[in-house]
Amino acid sequence: MAGQHPPVMRSGTPPVLQLVGICKYFPGVAANEDVSLTIRSGEIHALLGENGAGKSTLMNIVTGIYQPDGGEMILDGYGVAFSSPQEAIRAGIGMVHQHFRLVSAFTVAENIHLGWSDTPRHIPAGVLEAHTRELGERFGMPLDPAARVEDLSAGEQQRVEIVRVLARKARLLILDEPTAVLTPAEANDLFRALRAFRAEGNAVIIITHKLDEVMEASDRVTILRGGRNVGTWATKDCSPQMLAATMVGREIVRQDLRVRAPDAVPRSAKPVMSLRHVSVRDGRGVETLSDVSLDLMGEEIFGVAGVAGSGQRELTELLTGLRAPDRGDVLLEGKALPADAVAVARAGVGHIPQDRLQSALVPSLGVTDNMALREYDRAPIGGNGLYHAGAALRLAQDIATVAGVKIPDYSMPVRNLSGGNQQRLVARREMRIASKVLVAAYPSRGLDIGAIATLHRYFAQLRDEGRALVIVSEDLEELLNLSDRIGVLFHGRIMGVLDAAQADVERLGLMMGGRTEERGAQ
Amino acid sequence: MMRFQRFSTATAGYVLVWRALAFVVAMGIVALLLALSGRNVGELAALVARSTLGSRFGLEDLALFMAPLVLTGSAVTVTSRIGLWNIGGEGQFYLGAIGAAAVGLFVHGPAVVILPLMAVVAMVCGMAWIAVPTLARAFAGVNEIITTLLLNFVAELLTYWLTTGPWRDRVTGALVSTERLPVAVPEIWGVVHWGFPVAILVACGLSLLMSRTSWGYEVRVSGANPGAARYAGMPTRARIVAVMLLSGALAALAGMFEVAGTVHRLQGGMSDNFGYLGIVVAVLARRSCLAVIPAAFLMALILDAGIVLQTQQLAATAVLAITGLVLLLVAIADELAHYRPVVAEPVRRSAPGVSS
Repeated sequence: MAGQHPPVMRSGTPPVLQLVGICKYFPGVAANEDVSLTIRSGEIHALLGENGAGKSTLMNIVTGIYQPDGGEMILDGYGVAFSSPQEAIRAGIGMVHQHFRLVSAFTVAENIHLGWSDTPRHIPAGVLEAHTRELGERFGMPLDPAARVEDLSAGEQQRVEIVRVLARKARLLILDEPTAVLTPAEANDLFRALRAFRAEGNAVIIITHKLDEVMEASDRVTILRGGRNVGTWATKDCSPQMLAATMVGREIVRQDLRVRAPDAVPRSAKPVMSLRHVSVRDGRGVETLSDVSLDLMGEEIFGVAGVAGSGQRELTELLTGLRAPDRGDVLLEGKALPADAVAVARAGVGHIPQDRLQSALVPSLGVTDNMALREYDRAPIGGNGLYHAGAALRLAQDIATVAGVKIPDYSMPVRNLSGGNQQRLVARREMRIASKVLVAAYPSRGLDIGAIATLHRYFAQLRDEGRALVIVSEDLEELLNLSDRIGVLFHGRIMGVLDAAQADVERLGLMMGGRTEERGAQ
Repeated sequence: MMRFQRFSTATAGYVLVWRALAFVVAMGIVALLLALSGRNVGELAALVARSTLGSRFGLEDLALFMAPLVLTGSAVTVTSRIGLWNIGGEGQFYLGAIGAAAVGLFVHGPAVVILPLMAVVAMVCGMAWIAVPTLARAFAGVNEIITTLLLNFVAELLTYWLTTGPWRDRVTGALVSTERLPVAVPEIWGVVHWGFPVAILVACGLSLLMSRTSWGYEVRVSGANPGAARYAGMPTRARIVAVMLLSGALAALAGMFEVAGTVHRLQGGMSDNFGYLGIVVAVLARRSCLAVIPAAFLMALILDAGIVLQTQQLAATAVLAITGLVLLLVAIADELAHYRPVVAEPVRRSAPGVSS
């Protein structure tokens, strides 16, 4: 099949991009230190590294968002210096960010043509849409030009972003964690499109944490650690173990988290939380969760698998009191779950939500205020209507200490922390209140291997203390490693609950696609 | 190597220094324009200084201007804490003035009873005036900027109708005015009445309310990220209603003190734009309830200087021009305060707490 292998380039073809000794400093931090990197034409280059290893900074320099403090950038054999992202785009460097930069109220065609110098001033919507369709076909990414971006799935939105970048004649495409929000099938489509792009002599840089993806999709891989380039290898000479160890700087010991600590609390006989024939309808009256019944036991980790949008959000919102069921009952220790989120949290249910910055944190407020979010209304911070800032600070310091996050200034806006550190703080804050149940949606998204291992140990520890955990994840390996039982959601229904010891990726994958072994195709 | 780098937060010290510089530059530009139009700048400056900060009469005037500005500025600031803008301070000010005048004109009794009653009625009127925008915002998501703004014109015309119609002065025949109210807010220093210390206390109280109560914490969280407020189960809608009603009451209180303490009668056009200038004060105060006080002081200084300049045959609109100039330069200064010099020297260790 064409594009399966990197095209053979004539010798003497200059590299698409060459970085020589790039340095970038922030106060007190060397984000990039003497980074040299060569991106050849016709290759997919994976850029691997832990949170804070300097991947994003380096790509921000390449795309003109930051200017380097030292070093050289050579594009197609000529030295360049970008003073703005526009210049980088004009030079043929395009980036698709992890968080899409689309106008959600606009149509696909409008987003593609927005802020593009090739867009004529006056143009009827029909022409715009025809042009968009043509662009999508040219790049092998079919689009629905008239659809509004807010109605699209994450995978479709990403396609819009990529076509938007490619339409501006990008020759170097940079993707930041492109598969974080994609289903396995969508990810495969993406890789197919990237190979086609590569076949034309262009280059791709993929920033990722996922080792399997590096192995599957890339030709060469570069690992950054502590702002420095540790090395570049041909992917075929690498193994996932070697990549992980190089990235973290030590051997990662895989431990079986399903094994209980000797002093673990025995599993409870009665369920801690139960769903009884629960259904939820969305604003348009469509059932997003249908007739779900579940029992969550104490001292158990219950994994939830499923393609994105199968009802995971609704399920987590039900369990945490953010949403009331339209039919059926949610029971906490045999009694109806209170109808509001505060009461549920106070009853001992913690919640690590899917979108940390949008709901679990207040980005513009300080670390202290953010850590008080769950306990501001009780002693020692609150009670009798007051808010004791001193007690809130002590709480924040406690949380940061156990989370292993160093915070220079607790009044600093929490958005200044890296995504991994935000996640650690939220996880620890929620674990404090989760005396009975902890609901975690995609807890390891955006974390590096070391941080994921730490988080998983926290979860196992909570379980051994006798609490019930619900973990929603798209990473089946993670679920299989951690859970005792795994429930699979498909179109808002529980397709089945498997004992993790008897489950494997294939079986789960089939159920995620709506098939059950007993009944065959649905 | 030294360079300037933009930081996502600006420290208070930097903001203050840059703003002081902005103010100096603004005064420089005003002086230059005056000099170009053939005025003796030195003489004018001395006159302005003498008749504002340099004399008892000027200081009294400053305090009289400051009292309503602190209250209307606070009114806008409290709504900005929950992420909303009350542009209707002007209308709520008028309603407060109308409520206070109604009590003064038609209820008779000792001042110690009448004055608190005036304040309460005024605040209730102010809350009533913002009630519709509040409910529309909290329950239907209607943009409060438009609704509060439009009600200003209604309130202003209502005042004109009352002062030329049913409540017009039948004693002295003064135009567009009611009779003089029989009670007045007691004066404490020259013409400065109790409105001044009350306004200062209100601003300090609001600051404590925001930073030291769980109610204030909920308001801050709801304003900065409604998604997080929902996640934490905060009663956001109730807080929006409470904050907007509080805002209306504050602006109305300014109107009450103006009627009962300074003007002593309800007049058409009596607000002197205090409601709108409250927005300027709030912008200068950068959403801090305490910083409303110095911001109101600065605004009062400009108003006071404007009056002096008018006596020297300068157009009244000069005040507006100066206000605009100061605001523009302050906005630039606030942005510049985000930049700090950094010495780029290689640091070997990377700090894990800071995102890169």
